[in-house]
Amino acid sequence: MAGAVLENLSTRKLIALCVVLLLFQAAFFMLGGIIAPSPTTAYPHLTNKCVDTGKHRHKQQWFIPWGEFACEKIVDLEDAIEQEIVANQIVFSIEIPNRPNKMSRWFQYILTVMDITIAYHNENPLGPDPVITMEISLGYRNEGDAPGDWKELIKTTEERKLECTFDRPLIPESNDYTYHCDPMPFMELGSCHHDYYLINIRVPVHEHKDINLDLGKLQDIHIIEIHQNGGFTKVWFALKTFVTPLIIMMTIWFWRRVCALNRQSVLMERTILALGISLIILDLPIEWLTLSVDIPFMLLISDIRQGIFYSMLLSFWIIFAGEHLMDQTERNRLSVYWTQVTAIVFGCTCLFVFDMCERGVQLSNPFYSIWITDTGKNLAMAFIIVAGICASLYFMFLCYMVYRVFRNISVKKTALPAMAKARQLHYQGLIYRFKFFMFFTLLCAAMTVIFFIITQVNEGRWKWGEEHTVEVNSAFFTGVYGMWNIYVFAVLSLYAPSHKDPRKYESTVQNGDVSGSSNEEYELRRTLTDSAATEEPSELYRMTGKTAQD
Amino acid sequence: MIWCCLFLCFLLWFQVTAVPMWWALGVSYSPASVEEISCGQIPGLVSKQLRFCRRNQELMPSVAEGAQLGIRECQNQFKGRRWNCTTVGNDQSVFGNVLNNASRETAFVHAILSAGLVHTVTRACASGELLSCGCDSKRKPPPEEGWKWGGCSEDIRYGTRFSRDFLDPQENPRYARSVMNLHNNEAGRQTIAKTMETQCKCHGLSGSCEVKTCWKQQSAFKILGDLLKEKYDSAPEMKVTRHKEMRGWQEELIPKYDHFKQPTSADLIYYEPSPNFCKHDPSIGSFGTEGRRCNATSNGIEGCDLMCCGRGYNTIPEEVVERCECQFIWCCKVKCKSCRRMYDLHTCK
Repeated sequence: MAGAVLENLSTRKLIALCVVLLLFQAAFFMLGGIIAPSPTTAYPHLTNKCVDTGKHRHKQQWFIPWGEFACEKIVDLEDAIEQEIVANQIVFSIEIPNRPNKMSRWFQYILTVMDITIAYHNENPLGPDPVITMEISLGYRNEGDAPGDWKELIKTTEERKLECTFDRPLIPESNDYTYHCDPMPFMELGSCHHDYYLINIRVPVHEHKDINLDLGKLQDIHIIEIHQNGGFTKVWFALKTFVTPLIIMMTIWFWRRVCALNRQSVLMERTILALGISLIILDLPIEWLTLSVDIPFMLLISDIRQGIFYSMLLSFWIIFAGEHLMDQTERNRLSVYWTQVTAIVFGCTCLFVFDMCERGVQLSNPFYSIWITDTGKNLAMAFIIVAGICASLYFMFLCYMVYRVFRNISVKKTALPAMAKARQLHYQGLIYRFKFFMFFTLLCAAMTVIFFIITQVNEGRWKWGEEHTVEVNSAFFTGVYGMWNIYVFAVLSLYAPSHKDPRKYESTVQNGDVSGSSNEEYELRRTLTDSAATEEPSELYRMTGKTAQD
Repeated sequence: MIWCCLFLCFLLWFQVTAVPMWWALGVSYSPASVEEISCGQIPGLVSKQLRFCRRNQELMPSVAEGAQLGIRECQNQFKGRRWNCTTVGNDQSVFGNVLNNASRETAFVHAILSAGLVHTVTRACASGELLSCGCDSKRKPPPEEGWKWGGCSEDIRYGTRFSRDFLDPQENPRYARSVMNLHNNEAGRQTIAKTMETQCKCHGLSGSCEVKTCWKQQSAFKILGDLLKEKYDSAPEMKVTRHKEMRGWQEELIPKYDHFKQPTSADLIYYEPSPNFCKHDPSIGSFGTEGRRCNATSNGIEGCDLMCCGRGYNTIPEEVVERCECQFIWCCKVKCKSCRRMYDLHTCK
């Protein structure tokens, strides 16, 4: 990479650019923190216990918790004993959302979590390794439809393993205290296309098949519904729509500069281009489509897009560090980085397979979760552990490489005064470029980590005087998203080849020198002509070999 | 007209003996009844509460349930005590004259009933029965837009606000007794807020915790009962001081003993000693322990020594038929055998 814009930019211009980018960064944070609401909200629903009186056996019947077509309800399951109601007649029913609201397509997705309340009873304790088997139907209705006109989305039988603990002695005095059960994944819908959703759950008992016999004193089922807040979606879409054209323009500009160079592009430039393209893929606001078309696979696509960007970013770092190693080994080929890139690709593939197993299968059955069975859980853990190992391997590689770069930098720095002017400038340029990049990258990474920790530790909302609140979570999402956009934007603009080269030797490049990396070429000539060439014979030898390859 | 007069006399008579309280609603309430609860039926409401009731008519079944829950839990917590949260039939104060005293018992009853209200209103909101919970209509954007823009998960805030708005107007904060009731009502609400469990779900990229959503889940009401019982046992005694203000005398409560720290807003407070509840004396709300069952082997408060106040106890051998070897099948089937068992029944003299 010859003379990047960064090296030739005057300090004033660089500062101006940095200030502008910082202002944008601040705006991105404020956008999330002040304008947007919190990214998601959870709504705990208590299921209503409807009784199937068996009046409408012949057709698919929905049990609607309230309203005109409300079912017959019982408040407490204890009451059912006297009324001689059996388990198969009890239908746990909720309508999402609660009255008087309705869902909106801006909500993007619906996640639900199931929380079961089981009371201890010394004569009827929860069995060992209890499994609950449920017959679930999910229906939907839209604004214009008749009140009782629910259409079926899916009907399925699902099993969930209960993970419950009871922290009191198992004696009659502990009766009516509840077990502490972990909330279980229940349903994930990748789109929120309809206005109302209805969930009916039956927990049938089959004494011969040993189904649902050891559930203890199951009292209540809570379903917690989570969706993205409409306001956050709007802000998010606006952000994406705003940054996409900028990044597209910048990438085109970058590539045109590279093409104008009259030589083949080097690996560094191709990597930066790929980074730009992967960011465009991530930014492209195709989510707008969800407002008119039902796209349940949008969550999956978003995951894939994020994965592409992250893997590209990681590859970019390793290649950038490698290309600035200054140990005069020939790189400039992707194959040199095969270990690191393999780690990235392998790790990302693992996560992709895992994601396909979870969100992919959920496309056909929203009640599926890889975490609910033991094998699935182990498999999922295996994928995540392998991905984790890949990630740590990668970071070890990266740290080692950066360490080598810094070692070389200090070696070169001591050697600098003895070098010829051209080599001095060349190495100074490399060092400056690398240091700037390191600083910038570390800053972004540190900001991401710090903000992540803040969001995890904090309650998610900061009070600002009496009325103003700052949504920390939203600020994190828009801020960090904006920051990586700015990062790529800056890389695209600052590391693009410069038109003007302050060094006198630019003529060699312009003189139709098409033999690959012009940088080393003129450097080589300089070293050959300069008397200083004697300082590193082995290096000289290597470089000659390199030119021959080119 | 005559009926009206009679009713008034009746009311006045009750004013002298025991204050009618809203929680009388819980005694007769059954969730199966279809009859609407009219605000006029609820005993002891002041006009501000009546107006609030009429505005929130749909919540009144939850109020009744809350009262029922509170009374049941009170009795459950005080099962083996001399005062066992006895309810008096046909009395609009439910617990009789014991509440005329600014004692620990009164403090506990106020706290648990105010918390019971929070519990049942929150539950009713979560089940979607009520139209009025959810988005706060007082907010700037209309509720419809507010729900779409930023959602409005109220968890127990709605219930707490409701309990505050409904119960607190009953008290006139100039009098010590009202100051105490207000404090204990609030203590109940604060304690129930502490029993809420926070649960979270991670749903970021590949299920990572990049995106995490948390919510609060109510725990069993029994846990609240336990907590309040602890607070009952450790409640600091206060004393009444008065000072002159623009509008007249203002009564205040300060800790009776200087070396005790100031109670927090979640602690129960009282300023009159409780009777020992040994002898039957309805005027102070004591029903005595004569005839109460006790445990001959226990040294605790449920043991015969303490329960019978040293009067001794009778022992009668008794045979009972109990259900045993039960087999439970969810939800509602119980197969039991009946067993005969002999045991000694101890009752206080």
